[in-house]
Amino acid sequence: MEHPILFISLILEKLGLPIPHGLIGETFLEKMCQPYMTYTWFVMIFLVVVGKLTLSNIEMIPGKGQNFWEMLIGGMYDFFEENMGRELAEKLFPMIATFGLYIAVANLIGLIPGFMSPTASINTTVALTIIVWVTHHIIGIRAHGLGYIKHFLGPIPVLIPLMLFIEIISNIARLASLSIRLFGNIMAKETLLTILFILAGAYFAPLPIMVLGVLVSLVQAMVFVLLTVVYFGQANEHAH
Amino acid sequence: MLTNCSFTTEFSEFWEVVIKMAKKVSTEVVELLGNYGHIGFTFVAAIFIGLGGGIYLDEHFFDGSTSPWFTFIGLAFGILAGFKSLFDILRTPAAKTKDKDATG
Repeated sequence: MEHPILFISLILEKLGLPIPHGLIGETFLEKMCQPYMTYTWFVMIFLVVVGKLTLSNIEMIPGKGQNFWEMLIGGMYDFFEENMGRELAEKLFPMIATFGLYIAVANLIGLIPGFMSPTASINTTVALTIIVWVTHHIIGIRAHGLGYIKHFLGPIPVLIPLMLFIEIISNIARLASLSIRLFGNIMAKETLLTILFILAGAYFAPLPIMVLGVLVSLVQAMVFVLLTVVYFGQANEHAH
Repeated sequence: MLTNCSFTTEFSEFWEVVIKMAKKVSTEVVELLGNYGHIGFTFVAAIFIGLGGGIYLDEHFFDGSTSPWFTFIGLAFGILAGFKSLFDILRTPAAKTKDKDATG
């Protein structure tokens, strides 16, 4: 779905960079200028700049900006610690918290006209999901060694031929469901907003969908983080 | 008869209660959506992965000589994997703490 106006693409086009006309560019430079790439960079710069502005001088008595981050990061850390244990939470907190913040901001940014959500492209979500999926197997192998295969064998030896295939299928389904869920929800939100803007933007028709969009964006970011934490915790604990 | 003063205090008390309830409901809704909102998609994804694997075995691995059999076997395994992933969702820590809170 082509957006009506994407201001970063317009600026880059004025600068003389090639903007791909379809969804996927042909040359390397065109690939770098795809909207979801440029908006990913934008979200990254936004997060870094906001973090720098609010946390440049950390004080004992926190101000507004520091208070917000302390609440957010503290809440996230408690949640991780509760679900996957202190050791794993300390080791993996930077990765999962970054994913959570990035996905939340990337989802919400699509609600502003002129921006698009990088997560509305399946490339972004699959990249995030592959990182999570590979990491949870690495955690399992590091925690149990070869005994990690017990996670795939089920509770009783008799059921091994049955359970092995079921576990493998449901493990690969994690890869599919985690990426396509985020992509589908956000793309649906974006497409619906675009269509409503074109049809009846003057009568504030997209407004109720925008309210729902805020809810969907936050819930999807939360679901991604929650499932990541659950997968990591399950890979780390002993087989049932 | 209501004086102006008592009316405004009652009014603000009323809105305080409403805001408190709205906050509680919205956090609960977000929590429930986060914990269980992905059930449908996980179930369907498992079935389609199973079916896709079966079709791949039939059409590309055995070149269609075993045509409908691996598709059906894959579909059956996919459905079983879907149900298994439902049980997994019930076993997640988030669901467990919820139960503990409910029973006291």
